[in-house]
Amino acid sequence: MNSDRPLTSAARFRVEYWVGAGAVIALIVLIVLPLFSLLWGSVASQRGPTFEYFARVVSERLYFQSLVNSLILGGWTAFFSVVIGVPMAWAVARTDLPARGFVKLTATLAYLSPPFLLAIAYVNLFSPRAGVINEFLRSATGSTQLTFNIFSMPGLVLVTVPHTFPFVYLLASAALASVDASYEESAQILGAGKFRTALSVTLPLVAPAILSGALIGFVNAIALFGSQAIVGLPARIFTLPTRIYALFNYPPEYGLASALSLIFVAITVVALYVQRTYLERRSYVTLAGKGSRPQRLSLGPWRWMLFAFCVLVFVVAVLLPYGSLLAVSFSKSWGLDFWKNVTLDNYRFVLFQYDVTRRAILNSLLLAASAATFCILLGTAIGWIDVRTRWRGRRFLDYVSLIPLGLPGIVMAAALIQFWLKIPIALYGTLAILFLAYAARYAPLGVRAANASLRQIDSSLEESARILGASWVVTMREITLPLMRTGLFAGWILIFVPAIQELSASILLFSSKSMTLAVAVYNLYENGYIEPVAALALINAAIIAAAIFAANRFSDVADRNPQPV
Amino acid sequence: MSQIEIRSLSKSYDGGGSESVAVVDLSLAVAAGEFVTLLGPSGCGKTTTLRLIAGYLTPDAGTISVSGRVLSSTKGVVTPEERGMGMVFQNYAVWPHKTVYENVVFGLRVRKIGAVDARERVARLLELVNLSGLESRYPSELSGGQQQRVALARSLVVEPAILLLDEPLSNLDAKLREHMRTELKALQRRTGITFIYVTHDQSEALALSDRIAVMDRGRLQQYGTPREVYRRPANRIVADFMGLVNLVPARVREAEGGRGAVEAGPLQLAIALPAIARAGDRVDLAIRPESIRLTVPGGASAEAMRARIVEQSYLGNMNEYVVAVGDLRLRVQAGPEAEFAPGSEALMSVDAEQCNVFMADDDESRLGE
Repeated sequence: MNSDRPLTSAARFRVEYWVGAGAVIALIVLIVLPLFSLLWGSVASQRGPTFEYFARVVSERLYFQSLVNSLILGGWTAFFSVVIGVPMAWAVARTDLPARGFVKLTATLAYLSPPFLLAIAYVNLFSPRAGVINEFLRSATGSTQLTFNIFSMPGLVLVTVPHTFPFVYLLASAALASVDASYEESAQILGAGKFRTALSVTLPLVAPAILSGALIGFVNAIALFGSQAIVGLPARIFTLPTRIYALFNYPPEYGLASALSLIFVAITVVALYVQRTYLERRSYVTLAGKGSRPQRLSLGPWRWMLFAFCVLVFVVAVLLPYGSLLAVSFSKSWGLDFWKNVTLDNYRFVLFQYDVTRRAILNSLLLAASAATFCILLGTAIGWIDVRTRWRGRRFLDYVSLIPLGLPGIVMAAALIQFWLKIPIALYGTLAILFLAYAARYAPLGVRAANASLRQIDSSLEESARILGASWVVTMREITLPLMRTGLFAGWILIFVPAIQELSASILLFSSKSMTLAVAVYNLYENGYIEPVAALALINAAIIAAAIFAANRFSDVADRNPQPV
Repeated sequence: MSQIEIRSLSKSYDGGGSESVAVVDLSLAVAAGEFVTLLGPSGCGKTTTLRLIAGYLTPDAGTISVSGRVLSSTKGVVTPEERGMGMVFQNYAVWPHKTVYENVVFGLRVRKIGAVDARERVARLLELVNLSGLESRYPSELSGGQQQRVALARSLVVEPAILLLDEPLSNLDAKLREHMRTELKALQRRTGITFIYVTHDQSEALALSDRIAVMDRGRLQQYGTPREVYRRPANRIVADFMGLVNLVPARVREAEGGRGAVEAGPLQLAIALPAIARAGDRVDLAIRPESIRLTVPGGASAEAMRARIVEQSYLGNMNEYVVAVGDLRLRVQAGPEAEFAPGSEALMSVDAEQCNVFMADDDESRLGE
């Protein structure tokens, strides 16, 4: 049978195997090992494995209360996300609401705004003493009846909802747009009125999408460190991220922090699990398949009511925070007599004079760009293995790469710290450990982007290159990657934007050398530099705007070139 | 000596449920310069066979050798890029981000052919497939037939010894398909390249091939020239697949040295029989619609019998009838010259030499006699 052995190159150097091995190693280092350190940290003690930490975090009020607060915050946030997101989605997808483009823009801007900027802006407006709106109300009414204290649970919900309602809005409007009019028309022909139809046909059809959005909003809301620290801590409202953060203060309590982190992960994972399996299976709207034809309702004068509601959302989520930040950033000292002290000093200070902020901007640009690039490359490798090969364990690879979706930023950081402190490589406090944190956090986005664009490319396009003699490397370079280009670039932006404003993980990992933009904003705020903070925050927003502008320009150019069929 | 030698090849897909076996124990030899078609209904394993030959798949059993060299076995496969074959895909797989020229020159660039030489060879190929002047177009600016020819030129420019074609004409409209069929055949004759051609269209297979391999449910049913496969199908599956056929249950009346007489209701035929047939056996009689002649009653023919016209369809170049003879219903195709109205009577005769007899339960494949 010896002559039957093909003269194959299987035994020879095959680049794709090395790329696959590289992806596996990257996932192990980025995700698997830190996660195991966290698990180990939660049960390790000098006397061997123990459940003492878990027992303490669920019994001691200090820790248990943070869990309760997080759930309260998440619950209210999800509720208000639905209250705001669903009417907006319905208005845009199904009614003759005026200026629907403006409503879409509101949701996009609200989603893109870093939540900690919103928190800072609202503190400037509604802090009990110095908040200008409170000040104005006090001087106008002569009492404190109408003032609002931002440092409270309602305040926390207020600064969080603008970031989370777009999830509900986006999913609900997509679902509403794909409900074919024939469903509603068949209810109407059977005698149901418009209102009855909306309640008994349309709403049940899109309910899974709404709940899905609410759960994603919930998961995102409870993971935000910045807003919960800025608004929660002055009111002594500890939540999971802020409590875990406090546990890392000297002397660090790694066991308790790990146990609390794992409970945090459990909540997140359960919510995401419910969202994915139960709700996605029960989402009917995609069944219609063919191009649907949504019915638009004529609202008459009511549309102006709805429009006013959308404008209110715009004012609260975009205009007030950015307007006030803009005003603060140009004032010498924040207060009601704004026009008397307009200045550019704050910008000069953060951009040129204060080397900490200057370094922070450069660090964040470097980190966000390199993490986005790395995640896209890693995602391409994993996506290619998943979609194009029949290698054993390829599904597992895919699952591992999605684990970070269930890890809040602060938990990711807690895991990385514990792993790298055990390893005799001095990464703590360097840009490298921040890079690892970002790479791990955003790896799922890279995998998804690559997966989605690979699935749109028929494998015969690659196979025809192979049979013409092209090696794997040449095929990837000449065929696969150019065809994936648009999707990968969109994915890159999708990582770059949150990475440039990353705070939840950075807050545990930074040092003065490896300061990042969001941490610099947070630290300046903590130290009371209200005006430079506003300037730096707006620079942050400007970078995001520039990135998205560039992305749109790029995809316009790409659209003009022939697209994959 | 045969160029491609496939021995006892099997391949099944994992996780495909009960119908996951794609190719079972396939053996096939193809001579250099031959035009061989793998023909069968969808899911018969023909595309899997092609992809095994190309090296995209590893066989579960058996070997594939080319020019005496084993390229595929269970122990491993030589990668597609090292086989020096060409392949044309059903969806053409023309790269949308490359121009016609860039598409065609790709294989030459991979082979590090000099720019001047490459330019000349691409120009020659584009002329061969009638695409000269479209070098800088993108595929989205081409018609389906033109994309088809780009794919063809791209495969041929590297002068492969073997070209694999996976239903290359199935996405074209009928007229263009006819035209490309002629061009493909001429191209194959001119270049002398071995073509392995996959299709489910039996008329395409008959028109193009030197030999046809009829496959069904993963198994080779018959391998022979178009005439053999059409006129002497190895079994009912092949007979049924190769065009229209009346399959009539019949009984052997007498059998002697491979010939005998069969009887199906009022129909009696002296005919060649399978060697194992004995008097009294139940058999299936396969009669092609064009092997039945209808004539106006009154003509004196000993073998002719009376038939009643049940249905008539006018197809332009012929008339198709359903006729009743006793309890039998038969499809008949006749030239347009004589027309019979439904309900009228005709005299019917069957050309027994064009008919085949299959044992009643030989559903299984009997390879090439």
